[in-house]
Amino acid sequence: MYSNIILPRQWSRIACFCRLSTIEGQKLPQSGKSSDGISPPPRIPRGPTDILQALAATVGPDPTAAHYKYHDDPYLIPLSNYRKRAYALSAEAGRKAAAWIRDEHASLFNTREWDPPSKLKTPYYNADPIIDAFEPKPIYNEESKVTEEDLKYTINNALLDDSIKIFQLLGGIENISEETKLALLQFLCFYNEKEPDSMEWLEERWFSANVRERQLATWKLGGLADKIFASIEPKTPEAYCAVIQGMAKHYQAERAHALSQEAIEKGIPLSTEVFNSLLACVGFLREGTALRAEALKGLLTQMGEQGLSPNEETLTACLRSISSWGGGKMLQELALQVVAEFKQLGIQPGLSAYYYLLCLFCKERGPRIDILSGILVDLENRENLDAKEPTDTNFFITAMGVCSDHLQDINMAERVHALLMKGDNYKLVGDAYKESIYYRHLVTVACRHAPFERTTELLDTLVPNVYVPEPSVMEEIIKTLEVAGAGERLAQAWSQLVVFGIAKRVRLVERLLSAMSSTYEYQTEEVKGKMRDAAADILKFGKIAENEQNAKDLRTPVQKLSANAVSNIVELCSDVKDTADANWDAVSEGIQRLKQSDATGVPSRPQALADVALRAATAGKLGIAASAVQYLAECGFEEAVPASIQALGAVLNRPQEEVETLLEKQRADLTKAVHPSALALVDAYYLAKTGAPAREADSSTSSDSDSESSSDDE
Amino acid sequence: MNNSLIKIAQPLLSIQGQLASWSAVTSQIHTSAALCRVVSGKYRITKKRDRPLTYEMANPPHYIAHRKTWNSWNTSNLKDGLRRSETAVEDEFIRRFMTGTWHGLMCSEVIIKRQFNHIRVAAIVRRAVSPTKMYFLLGYTEELLANWLQCPVTLELQTVDSFQDVVFKYI
Repeated sequence: MYSNIILPRQWSRIACFCRLSTIEGQKLPQSGKSSDGISPPPRIPRGPTDILQALAATVGPDPTAAHYKYHDDPYLIPLSNYRKRAYALSAEAGRKAAAWIRDEHASLFNTREWDPPSKLKTPYYNADPIIDAFEPKPIYNEESKVTEEDLKYTINNALLDDSIKIFQLLGGIENISEETKLALLQFLCFYNEKEPDSMEWLEERWFSANVRERQLATWKLGGLADKIFASIEPKTPEAYCAVIQGMAKHYQAERAHALSQEAIEKGIPLSTEVFNSLLACVGFLREGTALRAEALKGLLTQMGEQGLSPNEETLTACLRSISSWGGGKMLQELALQVVAEFKQLGIQPGLSAYYYLLCLFCKERGPRIDILSGILVDLENRENLDAKEPTDTNFFITAMGVCSDHLQDINMAERVHALLMKGDNYKLVGDAYKESIYYRHLVTVACRHAPFERTTELLDTLVPNVYVPEPSVMEEIIKTLEVAGAGERLAQAWSQLVVFGIAKRVRLVERLLSAMSSTYEYQTEEVKGKMRDAAADILKFGKIAENEQNAKDLRTPVQKLSANAVSNIVELCSDVKDTADANWDAVSEGIQRLKQSDATGVPSRPQALADVALRAATAGKLGIAASAVQYLAECGFEEAVPASIQALGAVLNRPQEEVETLLEKQRADLTKAVHPSALALVDAYYLAKTGAPAREADSSTSSDSDSESSSDDE
Repeated sequence: MNNSLIKIAQPLLSIQGQLASWSAVTSQIHTSAALCRVVSGKYRITKKRDRPLTYEMANPPHYIAHRKTWNSWNTSNLKDGLRRSETAVEDEFIRRFMTGTWHGLMCSEVIIKRQFNHIRVAAIVRRAVSPTKMYFLLGYTEELLANWLQCPVTLELQTVDSFQDVVFKYI
């Protein structure tokens, strides 16, 4: 019964195979028409991942979602720079732990889970089919029995330390073939006998602190590479090429040049790549721009004599040398000359070449030279930008830096950004460090020079999933919001500060508060409410942070808000009509803080506090009004006197003159005339007037006032 | 006795190639007791009615494909499906590995979905550990399972505050 079904299936498979083989065998017409009018399109050869790439190309980047390396769950989505880094690296640490277990306990991984033990074919590894990516990595130690095959394996997989160990186990230079010796020499020269960062750990590479490569001679003199080179007899062109390139790459310029001269004298042909690497370090040979330029030209002519045609890397190498010699008219002209000459040869500058040109022309303190627009026109016309050299990733960050600091042109910045977003050019952004600097430049230039709508649009797409602003950029954003008077966004900015983990930066919070208070009066009632809530929250956050500090005894103490900022909070929060509003608590809390000198300095606008006192008095919050005026009086501000009079007027519901005449009276009389809770205001008035509290000032005349007022309190 | 069984089995093994095409027939035979239809996959009501059930547990097996779905998604059990027993053993291994590695965090059944050579493992976990630790476990589980099962494994987790959030009813 079942065989009936199986048979046709096999037949169809065979038929399918036949059909395929005929397709492979016959010559397909390129654009011919068959007799029945159907013309199949010519066959396009596809790679194994072409379909996947085509599918991926249909999905654009989604700025509203976190990067796909993060788990799509509210609890696991990072919102600050610190968390982005921590989460991605923890996941990778987990992977590393698993890889360690796999390598250390390879015996646990040598059968398939579902197989009975009798199926174990070899004691090592029984995967079927064997997939290289899941194979346990071989571990070599002193007892391993190694062959030349192992050496070749380690060289092909860039395992440098292992390859050196195997080389020693094999018994050194004498015991390996010339071919492997050369391969090992090339390998050692490329990495300068230093284990390269593994390609397996992407996040580590992405987040590794990218220190700018210092141009120091790091080549290991008399190292293994040198020894192997010395042992190769007769010296082949490949050996020379490898060792010269290695030395030039690691800035051992003089020896590299000496060796190249030696090779040329011996009549050994050198490759274009060797000359490229020599051109890149030609500046180390001479001092002074003129001599260096001379040497550069000399090398190029030597290259011509050898019959070598230059390529794109030659241009990059020349420009790299030129740009590293400093600036100045002469070098700039030389660079343009070089570029023009290469263009005549039909060689277009790549991204690295443009990067070095930008470095050379757009100095921070120099005349504004707009070479970027020309570069952009060229790059925009290209089909796609390929990464060819490691320095290619420097182009976009430098171009954006030029837009922001040098040209200060938002249109140019947007063009650069559009270019980066085109196709899969985003791979050229480099690493996490470069990416954040790129966006820092972009957001800064947008804040300073773009119309407000475009800035907010940009911010809405970028923040927080693509980019989380650093404190300096956040300050820039707050400034822009202040200028545009966007109160709602300022209120949002506070919650962003909290989420991004930079809410403890006092300078930033103060900047935000002053922006809020200066834009407050132009807002609608609804927005005003949001701003008040934000201000009250700032105060609360500060208190929580302080409690945390006391509880944990942190090493870096929490900075305190300045009196200015606190008075801003008080001013914002006091603008409520409703006496039951929760914001009054924030006001009294703020004034308490001011009075206990928990805030540094004194407020620069005492009038704001005077207004607060009046508002509080009108709302019937006498305690708050009194303490505000008292604080003003204690600080010795002139505003204390009119403020106390106004507040009293509001409390007693009398015109100002009447209050003034009332205050002329002795305090003892006042205690009878005025409600006890308003007495505090009177006290503040005297304090401001005489510099001493009223009670002490006239204690001689009214010794019974103390007892009386205290009885009133009861 | 075991030895004799093997001796009987050995001549059978030699014709294993021919038998392979008949495996579809042999897998039709069920040997489990008929009682299972009544009790398996169902939970007994407790005296105090305080046994918490998730939605998945609250629906007995006959509601599969009506009110709830399968815990394993694969094509092995379809007609002419490949790797039946292997898939079953692998799935059990994944489930045990998950509950052991995410110890005390699992709040639901482990759902295993297979597409091509890709295994997706979905579950609901508690937010009892910090996100950083969770990411560590994520990377660790994915890498280790990928090495055991020799194919890419992806975890698709969702988090809840506590086990209470997934309780559907008490019986």
